[in-house]
Amino acid sequence: MKLRKSNIVAAGFLTVSGLAVAAEEITVSAWGGFFEETLKAEIYPAFTDETGITVRSIAQPADQAWMTQLTNAARAKTAPSDLSLVADEVFLRGQSIGLWAKLDGSEIPNTATLLDGFTKIDDDDTLRAVGALSWYTTLVTNSEAIPDAPETWADLWTRDWDGKLGLTSNANSGLMEATALTFFGGYEVMETREGLEQVIAKIAELKPKVQLWYRDEGQFQQNLEAGELTGGLYYHDVTMLSAANGLPVVSTFPKEGGILGDAYWIVPRDSENVEAAQKFINYMIRPDVQAQLARKLGVAPVAQRETMDLTDEEFSAVSSVDTPIRPQTHIHLREGDWLSDKYLEMISQ
Amino acid sequence: MKRAVIPHLIGLFPLGMMSFFFLAPLAFMVVVSFYERDPLGFYNVAFVWDNYAKFFSSFYYTVSLRSLWSASLGAVVVVLLAFPAMYIIVDMSRRWQLFWVILLLSLMCLSEVIIGFAWLILFSESSGIPKFLGWIGLWEDPDSLSPSFGAMLTGFVTLGFSLVALMFFPQMAQRDRSIEEAALTLGTPPARVFSKVVLPNFLPAIISSVVTMFVYFLGVFVMPTMLGRPQDWNMTVIITDKAVGDANMPLGAALSVIMLAFTLIIICGLLLGSRRGRVQT
Repeated sequence: MKLRKSNIVAAGFLTVSGLAVAAEEITVSAWGGFFEETLKAEIYPAFTDETGITVRSIAQPADQAWMTQLTNAARAKTAPSDLSLVADEVFLRGQSIGLWAKLDGSEIPNTATLLDGFTKIDDDDTLRAVGALSWYTTLVTNSEAIPDAPETWADLWTRDWDGKLGLTSNANSGLMEATALTFFGGYEVMETREGLEQVIAKIAELKPKVQLWYRDEGQFQQNLEAGELTGGLYYHDVTMLSAANGLPVVSTFPKEGGILGDAYWIVPRDSENVEAAQKFINYMIRPDVQAQLARKLGVAPVAQRETMDLTDEEFSAVSSVDTPIRPQTHIHLREGDWLSDKYLEMISQ
Repeated sequence: MKRAVIPHLIGLFPLGMMSFFFLAPLAFMVVVSFYERDPLGFYNVAFVWDNYAKFFSSFYYTVSLRSLWSASLGAVVVVLLAFPAMYIIVDMSRRWQLFWVILLLSLMCLSEVIIGFAWLILFSESSGIPKFLGWIGLWEDPDSLSPSFGAMLTGFVTLGFSLVALMFFPQMAQRDRSIEEAALTLGTPPARVFSKVVLPNFLPAIISSVVTMFVYFLGVFVMPTMLGRPQDWNMTVIITDKAVGDANMPLGAALSVIMLAFTLIIICGLLLGSRRGRVQT
């Protein structure tokens, strides 16, 4: 492991504070915008106070673009960051081409308090990723334009949205899964291409109601808050924070469930700070830090409910006890190119 | 013999620059376009025609026709607007000419994103033109004007206007006015002077600026995504989606090569056509 030589000021500080370790620095990347800013301001400083490891926080682009950068960097034998927050699909794609470093499970004892399924162990019995957080995508509405919050995903099709819905332009937002569950009785329909085409055709019925097929989340949020859009598919966490700031937006869990996505911490293969990165992961999954994440970021925790000191009210603000809608990642991986072409074709014709 | 070597060496300089900045990346793109897509990873070195075959599905075909349409319409509209504007500006006093040229130059400093955002706000229901029209009573139930084809085209025109206007400026300011004056003194109405004398004189400049703008608008990315509907997204947007979004470099490269071929054919056709036209007159 490479230890970064501390500069004089930091060395002085460390001597004063009586720490014997040299200052280490790790680079941590997270989705740019509110996410990265909040983590940097609210969460990382306490980690640095506790361990003496400084965190350089950088913003990473949307999943696929980030995946491309990670792959390119790995070809050049470099790591753009020592740690990165990635969604399920990116984790699996990266794992299949050996992009992630090996992690030592014994160095991350806090995995004991995680919910099931959040330690990712590959075929060689090596730990490759640890759960970081979960987030819900729900039906969000502008409460001034739509006074009665929707109750079911079917409301997208049946209600009058004044032609001002906002939906994502990519196929893996979870809308396909929500449609399959609401109108086709489950995810089985997605197993075949014929079934997927049926689901896409069902979503195509929404086209006259959609004003914005967004690729930029900021644009959706801004338009919804301003009332340019009446509703759509968006993140529960950011919407709750906007609502708390007094903006006229509401996030609703439809009766079929919200769409739950998982994010993992991974260490890119060529990172030279794996040991410090493990300390970081161990810190981030600790129940009290998970509770902090729920409070500050509004994301759903990945630690077991009883290990955290979240009140019922705090917990229900970020999560839901109902069965969530799960993105069918294996289908998106298997049919990726075909599906994204079909979806793009549907929205752009 | 020795003397002839130096001019040749000088000729190597543009060749070197072209190879380094243009031909080498282009060659790399062509090579990648034949690679095999690896859905889980990136690409595998291979020689396959799959990526090109994909273009001939109806979807990509429609998108490329659509990009050709929006780019050519945008190019014609921007030249139609900029040419008369410049014709008027060069007849103004020196001080006003300077004012307009500085204004046009500063318009060129604005980035595509800033222009896009500005139009996005101006077209929005809550704070822009629709709200104003509703306020003065011309539009009963105002709605946002973007995203739409018209909004995207407005963005195109804003992007290209100053470029085209400044391309016309030197030639127009220094043109030989004696021909127009002769026509006027012989009793030709001003409108006819414009159509029969000024326009034919500037035809080559007009054609070359239309071609330049056409190529420029083919490669525009921000305006279609910000101001256009998915139906208006051009090939550049789709290529970005494939190459960056889906990490499908081979397909992105193949689509780029096809677009490049399209553009070359159209430019050659236009230039040949205009040259032939000039020979005949």
